[in-house]
Amino acid sequence: MTPSELPVVSAVFEAGADDRLFDSLLLLGPLVIGMAAVGGRSVLVEAIAIAYIGVFLGYTLYRGVRA
Amino acid sequence: MNGSVATVGRDLGRVLEALGGLMLVSLVVPLLWGEFYAFPALLISAAVPLGIGRALSRRFRTAEAPGRFHGMIVAASGWFSVGVFGSLPFLLVAWSVQLGVPGVTTPGQTATLAAFIDPLNAVFESMSGFTGTGLTMTDNEEVLPRTLQWWRTFTEWVGGVGVIVLTTAILSRPGSGSLTLYQGEARSKKIHPSVVSTVRTIWWIFILFTFVSILALWVAGMPIWGAINHGMTGLATGGFSITDNSIATYDSALIDFVLVPIMLLGSIAFPVHYLILQGDLRNIYSDLQTRWVFGYMGVGSAALWALLYFAGPYDTPFAALRYGLFQFVSAATCAGFQTAVDATNVGLDRWPAYAQLTVVFGMFVGGAAGSTAGGIKLIRGLTLVKGIRYQISDVFFPASAVRRLEINGRRLNEEEASREFMEAAIIVVLWTAFLITGIFLLLLTLPSGEYSLANVVFEVASAQGNVGLSAGITGPESLPDLGKVAFLFHMWIGRLEIIPVLVMLRTVFRRGGLYS
Repeated sequence: MTPSELPVVSAVFEAGADDRLFDSLLLLGPLVIGMAAVGGRSVLVEAIAIAYIGVFLGYTLYRGVRA
Repeated sequence: MNGSVATVGRDLGRVLEALGGLMLVSLVVPLLWGEFYAFPALLISAAVPLGIGRALSRRFRTAEAPGRFHGMIVAASGWFSVGVFGSLPFLLVAWSVQLGVPGVTTPGQTATLAAFIDPLNAVFESMSGFTGTGLTMTDNEEVLPRTLQWWRTFTEWVGGVGVIVLTTAILSRPGSGSLTLYQGEARSKKIHPSVVSTVRTIWWIFILFTFVSILALWVAGMPIWGAINHGMTGLATGGFSITDNSIATYDSALIDFVLVPIMLLGSIAFPVHYLILQGDLRNIYSDLQTRWVFGYMGVGSAALWALLYFAGPYDTPFAALRYGLFQFVSAATCAGFQTAVDATNVGLDRWPAYAQLTVVFGMFVGGAAGSTAGGIKLIRGLTLVKGIRYQISDVFFPASAVRRLEINGRRLNEEEASREFMEAAIIVVLWTAFLITGIFLLLLTLPSGEYSLANVVFEVASAQGNVGLSAGITGPESLPDLGKVAFLFHMWIGRLEIIPVLVMLRTVFRRGGLYS
């Protein structure tokens, strides 16, 4: 069984914008929020959260410019 | 048995089953926060709609597939039922704390929670949540159990997705500016060919945006529980808060400015979001509604800024910009978050009447169709303006001339143009008629001299536009029961864009049966 065949993962892959990076962001979202909730406000978690937002914005713009 | 009753009954049952499921999912919150006294209340709350829903869907499982009329009646009755049954957690948790739960430590009763002992207040809160309005019966949200803070947030978030699905996939019709708007020309690729995959894709986009919103607010300095709740209600343009003074509690310009794009995301049609995520950034300016979301919010915010700075209560251009921009976007996206409060600056109810009415105008128009925003929707305003221009200029053309009305790249023939213009006009007329009726009713029921006319107009427009900003009238004590019932109706018709509610009421009261 590949990761894309897991129940939640396959549902995420089947819907949406047909893009694996966005799908990955969707799957990683709860993890990052969980880290913020459990780990509290630390430089590392803030950096991860900023990276998450940066990847989302940057990749959206990148796709737009590339298209 | 009337076949339509069976179809509506089955689908209504499914809606109630889904509501019960949402309550079951929420059971994790009292466990995580150690609010064990709220667990039985939430469990019973879930069992009621689940049981009724299961009974209905099993009883009518062989019913025919729904048509458009069924869709309208299911939407109207479903939203109403969800509002009523969604009140159970408020009611039962309040009574649990009031009476105590055997074997479990129960906190002391608070005046805020005690308001929900009255079923009308509980239904009001639930309807406000599911319609994405955000007007509240709580005095101080901070003292609510986390379970109810979450349930309020969750109702708005789910209601937000619900209205996108409703307008984009289920009740799209000429002039609604929803799916029809995105079927024309080359933009018809998706949202998706079938309702099921459309719903999945809407959820996908909504959940992704929710995660981004939560993390953006957290990075801006909001505590994580606040970020989770405000990220969800901000994107859903619902506006429920977990703090007493809404967003003003944080008194942070950075948080204010981060919330502005989150609310804007919620007020853009989700089919456009889909296209943008696929790399088609041109939609930001090529899509009529999206272009106007930015243009109209920009012009409105600038006007409010000018009013607040040059003739209003703020001394510095930055303060006027911060509060003017936030409050106009909050009103026009129908989020209803508030930063203008007396605790930190100047309360909305003390803004000059012309500034309040500028905010009312924002509530009246609202955001894009196919988004979570309320109001009459931008597309209807634009259809009206273009349609009026088209009708007037018709005088100058010969009778034999073949003319087209162009809306968002779609070239409508005379019949299509007439139909869409009429639909937009009907909605605007009905919206205005119900607004005026509500204003009269509220003026009659409120103590005379306590609130200005501007305050009353503001409050009713806020309820019907599903905005949630308050001039101080809405509250468990300040709003009379008749006013609460009227606001329930305003919130309901505002969310469903009036027509489905009227269709349902006509069916129930005049025909004595359902459309066959």
